[in-house]
Amino acid sequence: MKIERFLPQPLSEKIWRLNWLLLLSICALSATGVVALYSVADGSLAPWAERHAIRTLIGLALIIGIAMLPLRFWLAAAYPVYFLALALLLAVLFGGTQIMGARRWIAIGALSFQPSEIMKVALVLALARYYLGMDDARISRPLWVFVPLLVIAVPVVLVLKQPDLGTAAILASVGLGMMFLAGVSLWYFAAAGVAVAAAGPIIWANLHSYQQSRILTFLDPQRDPLGAGYHITQSKIALGSGGLYGKGFMQGTQSKLDFLPEKHTDFIFTMFAEEMGFIGSISLLALYALLFLVLAYMALSCRNQFSRLLIGGAWIGVFVYSLINIAMVTGLVPVVGVPLPLVSYGGTSMLTIMFGLGTAMCGYVHRYDRLRRSDLRIMI
Amino acid sequence: MIIMFVQDESDEVQHGKFSRRTVLLGAAQVLGLGAATARLYQLQVLDQSSYAKLSEQNRNTVQMLAPLRGQIVDRFGTVLAANTDQFQAVLVRSLAPDMGGVLRDLSMLIPLSRQTQDRIIRRALRQSPNLPVMITRDLNWEQFAQINLRAPRLPGIQTRKAGRRQYFHGDAVGLVVGYVGAVQRFALDDDPLLRLPGMSVGKSGVERAMEKRLRGVGGRKRLEVDAHGRIIREQDKTQPEAGRDVVLTIDTQLQRRVMQRLASEKRAAAVVIDVVTGEVVVMASVPSFDPQQIAKGITSPQWRKLRRRRGDPFINRAIAGQYPPGSTFKLVTALAALEAGLVKLDEKVQCPGHYTLAGHKFRCWRRAGHGAVDLHRALRESCDVYFYDMANRLGIRAIGAMAKRLGFAQSYDMGIAAQARGLIPDPEWKFGRFNKSWYGGETILAGIGQGYVLATPLQMAVMVARVASGRRVQPTLLRPEQGTSVAEFQPLDIAPKWLQAVRGGLIGAVNEPGGTGRRARLPLGEALIAGKTGTSQVSRRSSRRSGARLAWKYRDHALFVGYFPADAPRYAVSVVVEHGGGGGSVAAPLMRDITGFLLEADPAARPAILAPASAKISAGPLAAPTIKPFTLAPGTGSTGSNGAGSDNSKS
Repeated sequence: MKIERFLPQPLSEKIWRLNWLLLLSICALSATGVVALYSVADGSLAPWAERHAIRTLIGLALIIGIAMLPLRFWLAAAYPVYFLALALLLAVLFGGTQIMGARRWIAIGALSFQPSEIMKVALVLALARYYLGMDDARISRPLWVFVPLLVIAVPVVLVLKQPDLGTAAILASVGLGMMFLAGVSLWYFAAAGVAVAAAGPIIWANLHSYQQSRILTFLDPQRDPLGAGYHITQSKIALGSGGLYGKGFMQGTQSKLDFLPEKHTDFIFTMFAEEMGFIGSISLLALYALLFLVLAYMALSCRNQFSRLLIGGAWIGVFVYSLINIAMVTGLVPVVGVPLPLVSYGGTSMLTIMFGLGTAMCGYVHRYDRLRRSDLRIMI
Repeated sequence: MIIMFVQDESDEVQHGKFSRRTVLLGAAQVLGLGAATARLYQLQVLDQSSYAKLSEQNRNTVQMLAPLRGQIVDRFGTVLAANTDQFQAVLVRSLAPDMGGVLRDLSMLIPLSRQTQDRIIRRALRQSPNLPVMITRDLNWEQFAQINLRAPRLPGIQTRKAGRRQYFHGDAVGLVVGYVGAVQRFALDDDPLLRLPGMSVGKSGVERAMEKRLRGVGGRKRLEVDAHGRIIREQDKTQPEAGRDVVLTIDTQLQRRVMQRLASEKRAAAVVIDVVTGEVVVMASVPSFDPQQIAKGITSPQWRKLRRRRGDPFINRAIAGQYPPGSTFKLVTALAALEAGLVKLDEKVQCPGHYTLAGHKFRCWRRAGHGAVDLHRALRESCDVYFYDMANRLGIRAIGAMAKRLGFAQSYDMGIAAQARGLIPDPEWKFGRFNKSWYGGETILAGIGQGYVLATPLQMAVMVARVASGRRVQPTLLRPEQGTSVAEFQPLDIAPKWLQAVRGGLIGAVNEPGGTGRRARLPLGEALIAGKTGTSQVSRRSSRRSGARLAWKYRDHALFVGYFPADAPRYAVSVVVEHGGGGGSVAAPLMRDITGFLLEADPAARPAILAPASAKISAGPLAAPTIKPFTLAPGTGSTGSNGAGSDNSKS
């Protein structure tokens, strides 16, 4: 260990602390996205492939930019960002943009955005901040478990009210996953599992009719093959007909014939797997596995809990995103409208993921920083 | 500095725990990825052959067919919203060997400038060759036919037919009818129709509230396509079931005249209800907008500009504007006091120009006071002190109960979206809202429709309709459906003598010397207007300075509620002019003019159509008068200032 490690580092040195393998796996996944989007548009860079590539580059710059900021900046920003996101969620629910009818979006000038996206990053920041320097004895005491549960539950409920089941599921799993990583006693998780099983019927009664119909249709896709079951059936046919080696690049018939809905966003995996076959789809899975491995490695090499949890949050988030999407298109879970991270087309989700990975990278760059609870007082 | 080198024990502990948990979670991830792999193996390798077969069958594609949206017509069958076909021409690059040439050929048939041609080619080159580029959306029928005729010599040019909503008389009824727009992703319900590209749904007004009726049921077309997506043949077809028409109770011509009359004010609203049927004949609100502007296609900056226009033209003030009802609310206080037996008809209350409660002085609008006033005079001259006293005797709950019986603080299932509920306060509400207890002074203010009390022009019209008829009038914008019988409204359960006393006060306010609503009077002989003025205070400043010198936004709201004819009520009217000044000077003349229009048009007396019971008999006015027309009592002459006659009421 050298003394320099604990001193504020110059920028040039921070650059060398970046995890290049993470950037590389991001590039590989985005490149897969560009290829798939090129094929979706019938062999055309416009309108999706080129913009996806440009967004990736902007995203990489964003990751590096965020990582160069001092870790303490994010520590100080954690709670304010969380409460801001919460306020925006409330605003969108009660104010929202009423005339055009949408309740997820909020408009400031020409920009419009979804506060629920900000909340994904804000929740990770807030929980990482909460667990920084908390001593082991406290972590599992009921009150100290209750507070983070509240921190998770409030945005989840607000997002459910929008209603956006997919985002709510991601927020809940990231939050609970971080509590798990932070070391909350396993008994709580066991108890929660039992409680969920018991509360199932109540949740069911509170779902919107279209959400119920999605779940019912998922259980029995033939219930309405042209309505809500349409997506699942078509997606499975596309995947299955792809076979081992696929139909060949730009040769997918299911997706080309417009049987697949939203094939450039939520169903991009289906379209890729139809053309590239089982070989292609497990290669894509392997790329994701690499991304998860790198993130896990990054988390474990950190010497402070804040860094670890920042990376842990991003790790769980990206994992849940990808797994829900793949499970959805293969008919393992109901269609909830979650994009495949880094591959699906879409500026908002790309920005959120890049931002999340940026904070993770920041945690990694500053992995030797010593952040203690006592630091907080000096800072604020 | 040295301290920093000491092993950080707490982090060691945390790091160790974090590592163990990471391994556990990592193991879960491995399971998850393993499950995904297994699933993909099952789909793509094990079941490959069966899915490949399905994929072949899939070449039998199913297209949804959009139903025709129902029309919206007014009570006389005037079309307010309908569907027109839009003929479009598009260019498909992959089918056009020579784009420049074919566009030049096309420019012989339709106007197409060189710049436009270049722009189309540039756009076609930028995107996928199979995606069509729009050439024009507005072909007329002749051009459409010409292009189709020459289709073989225009390779790459295709024509399409798309439905478009078109609005008529939007300047008059735009806020009532509303408009349609693209389906938002979150709004998708069970109906697979909503997933159809280009499908639109009601966004406001009747279009939104009556969405289910207007939309119809989608049809299906099964097509056989080849591997390139070309249609080989059509297999079978289920026709879509068109949406049902909605027949409104509005009289468009009358509404236009009212809107034109209101246009002299910055922001105002007026509602006319047929007292017998509850039908809303006029629902006017200014400023307004024309939904046709949106239907024609609107860009984002245009939309923003429209929304920023002064006075927010997208708010239907008749149902969504909430105003303190001011003195028009004295009807409520009077009826509550009479029914509770807290005052006798001839009991006189002294009005010295103010009323004192718990050391607070509440002023009457007439500083000098009215002297001794009974109920009739109090209503006629709108004496505040009389009603302060009544409110104090009643208490807020009794006032609130009567207000709700007369139609306040509720929205109506009447075929239009975005109604405001208004507010009738009570101590629980105040405690919930401000965490403070109720003061007696607030009851006093509520008694004259000030303080927390809020009502919409619609609710005020309902109130006066109920007082005029003695029945629980339910307002509606929808004409009854064919084959349904219309029941009479239930009685209000208020003793006729109390209602008669209040009605007498309203007749006095317009027709007797000293009445506050004198300017609403029409020289009609026996057919009298009855009504009540209201001037609701917006800011404290208005009590000190007189109207003209006060900044517009601090000026009082001017209100008037009334009905006509007084001896056999048929129309109930409410008028609100935001920051208009005095109810007697500004709103009462509006009442007079609207009554004049009503006399000329007399919509209730003319045969109106009924809503079709099924989609099959769409469109076409089906004249069927069901309600006995109202006719003026014989001997009533023509009117003065408005030149209104009663000739057409004989039909």
